[in-house]
Amino acid sequence: MKQKIKGVMPRKSIRFAAFFAVMGPGIIAGLSDDDPAGITTYSILGAHYGYQMLWVLLISTIALILFQDLGARIGVVTRQGLIGLIRQKYGARSGVMSAISLIIANVGTMTAEFAGIAAGAQLFGVSKFVSVPLAAVLVTGLVLRGSFGRVERVFFLLSAVFLAYIVAGFMSHPDWGKAARGLVVPSMPLTHDSILIATATLGTTLAPWGLTFIQSYAVDKRLTRDDLRLLRADVWAGSLLTGVIGFFVVITCAATLNVQHISIVNASDAAAALKPLAGTLAKDLFAIGLIGAALLAASILPLSTAYAASDLTGRPAALDDRMREAPLFYGTFAAVTLLSAILVLLPGAPLVTILVLTQVLNAVLLLPLLFFMYGIARDRRLMGEFVSSRAILNVYLTVIAAVSICIAAMLWYSFH
Amino acid sequence: MEATRIPAISPVARRLDRRREYALARKQVRESLVSVAGLIGRPVRDQGGRDIGRLMDILVRHGDATYPPVSGLIVKVGPRRSFIDGSQIGTLTQDEIRLSSTKIDLKEFKRRDGESLLDSDVIDHQIVDVDGMRVVRSSDLYLAHLDRAFRVVGVDVSFVSFLRRIFPGSIRRRPTPDRVLDWAAVASLADGEGPVRTAKSRSVLGQMRPADIADLIEDLHGREQEVLIDLLEPAVAADALEEMESQELLGLMRGLTTAKAAKLLVHMEPDESAEVLRDLGEEHRESVLAAMSDENARSLRELAEFDDDQAGGIMTTRMAIVHESQTVAQALALLVDQKEQGATDGVVVVNDSGELLDHVQILELVAAKADAVMSEVIGPPWPTSVLIGTPFAEVITEFTNNRGSSIVVVDEQYRPVGHILADDLVDALVESVERRWPWQSGGGGT
Repeated sequence: MKQKIKGVMPRKSIRFAAFFAVMGPGIIAGLSDDDPAGITTYSILGAHYGYQMLWVLLISTIALILFQDLGARIGVVTRQGLIGLIRQKYGARSGVMSAISLIIANVGTMTAEFAGIAAGAQLFGVSKFVSVPLAAVLVTGLVLRGSFGRVERVFFLLSAVFLAYIVAGFMSHPDWGKAARGLVVPSMPLTHDSILIATATLGTTLAPWGLTFIQSYAVDKRLTRDDLRLLRADVWAGSLLTGVIGFFVVITCAATLNVQHISIVNASDAAAALKPLAGTLAKDLFAIGLIGAALLAASILPLSTAYAASDLTGRPAALDDRMREAPLFYGTFAAVTLLSAILVLLPGAPLVTILVLTQVLNAVLLLPLLFFMYGIARDRRLMGEFVSSRAILNVYLTVIAAVSICIAAMLWYSFH
Repeated sequence: MEATRIPAISPVARRLDRRREYALARKQVRESLVSVAGLIGRPVRDQGGRDIGRLMDILVRHGDATYPPVSGLIVKVGPRRSFIDGSQIGTLTQDEIRLSSTKIDLKEFKRRDGESLLDSDVIDHQIVDVDGMRVVRSSDLYLAHLDRAFRVVGVDVSFVSFLRRIFPGSIRRRPTPDRVLDWAAVASLADGEGPVRTAKSRSVLGQMRPADIADLIEDLHGREQEVLIDLLEPAVAADALEEMESQELLGLMRGLTTAKAAKLLVHMEPDESAEVLRDLGEEHRESVLAAMSDENARSLRELAEFDDDQAGGIMTTRMAIVHESQTVAQALALLVDQKEQGATDGVVVVNDSGELLDHVQILELVAAKADAVMSEVIGPPWPTSVLIGTPFAEVITEFTNNRGSSIVVVDEQYRPVGHILADDLVDALVESVERRWPWQSGGGGT
């Protein structure tokens, strides 16, 4: 079949087909960062500050491109997950600490995803006692029963849901001129809330689980050094798309909620508030986007955790492994899903506290992970000819410095 | 009386006894082993007990010995990293290393071939457990005094030993030999010149069937696949690769260095190699071919240029060709000669200008007189032949119409260039139904 295609297709199409084969890690890992927590952050950014702080999103997207690209490259070159490499290069303590923090943070984030599904379904009048267990079963069933190829195709289908935000964005008739200016002219009111939301934007875009996921996923997909060029295109496309979706969420809220001075606290508020302003369809699109985003992230998070756990113990696992072959991998997946679903459904569980602490833990964990990745990037024994140049290492350091400042600011405000 | 009492208590007593024995044995084992992870950071002292520095790493030399001896120490002396030769080690215990003299020769450390650093290169790195046929991460290494030297004898792969290392103080140093693999039965993936082969790893792998090795290769991932292949003799590896699924094989080949890929492809059946080369893509194909001998590269390039859906793309070029004037005995001798290469279904007979006359089955040869000339042996049934460019679908039709076991492929001048066996056809058919999404055939995705 393939040869027939080669026979009749022009060269350009072959390259396009090859891209489809490599495509995945960048797009899936990127878009999963636009999870309900992300959509919430973008909604608040737009609803409270209009178009003014769009530049924060641009910077976050650039940081995302840089480190997702590095993660994917490390995965392909070393053929190991990040946690395993940390254990190998930085020793037992660093490995265990990173893995434990990642697992706890992921359970917390997974709880946020389920909360997002519950909130989104609530907008359509579906009880969380139906939507959350259903989502948990769907996600677990997909990963337990599917081969790598099938799982990836479902991920792509889920990603398509994000188009809803772009449609909703156009339906809200934004002011494109102001949006363009907000994107490139950095300005912000220097207040407690604005600094917090700027940090949250960076933190929700560049997430620890996304960084470990893209690396393990590239290993699981068995991509090779030959695929690196196409993989880079995939990472750029995925990260840019992630930024574009965020952009549309911000302008939707800026054009409607901000103009009307409506204040919101989460994404489902935003969806509900959209109804009188941009019509029922816009509200439905926003809610569907929220559920799809949560489902995608809810599939990625336990997977990222499972990769990390099996990586730490030194028994790498893959989606194509059978349950009997990789009990730890599938066990971790099930445990994370189950625990988070219970936390969401448990009456009286301190959900808000869990979500805030998760955000703090994610932020605190991000910094060492970025440093570890930086260290691996410059390690010639690990990276061989793909070791990073002096110039790009400096760019990484600049991003790490910016992230450090944001995290310090966030920690300061979280506890004062 | 006593005889009746003893059986009543003896199961418990026996169990206690056994447990005590076991504990004693464990204790002895534990005391005779030194944990490398626990030793790192401990003081290195001279004969008089004066501190020289702290141990940073231990160097071993891989040679013919089953258990590699310690060949040197990396010691932090003040702010500097220094090298102390292994011959200066006096005693080595879990708590300290005593050197055998007071005059210490400190040198600058330089990496040498055939040596690895136990803490930097082996602990927490991946190793292949050859007995269990899996890849594990080593949690710790154990040294023991054997044959007048301190040697690496075991690899601890347990998670408990790994966790022990995150604790401070003496817990960290206490050996916990729970799941220890014999060093002889592992292949360390220490960087450098490839894996360290041990005697046992070679013998175990040598006894496996190619199909089983293929399964094992498919179970492993990326770098570990490569390591396993490095452990095998090229011919054995090539046999195993032929048994792999084509997508897996392609992914594997893409990950190998061109020199390694070239070596394996030369050892594989030409038609299988050609298929891999065809799928590698032009740029990669040329670099792999450049790493082969000219002769090999030329014949493989020719084969790879045929389309996969034509007779030329699925045929095997290895076959026994005899001239019509040769004798039956010569034909049989040729077949025996080429047995290694797998051309065993008969000989192709050609005339002076190299045109195909007949394909004579082994059975016919055996039945004929040994001194008979081939031109006397040839006759009906005549062989089925197709042109190089014949489409795949027509080849199948020819095959089903004639019910033969093979088809001879000829060029425009009717000279035989290869033959298609039933199994080549099966391979090609399986592949044409295997693809799920056309664009996913490029590898990786499925």
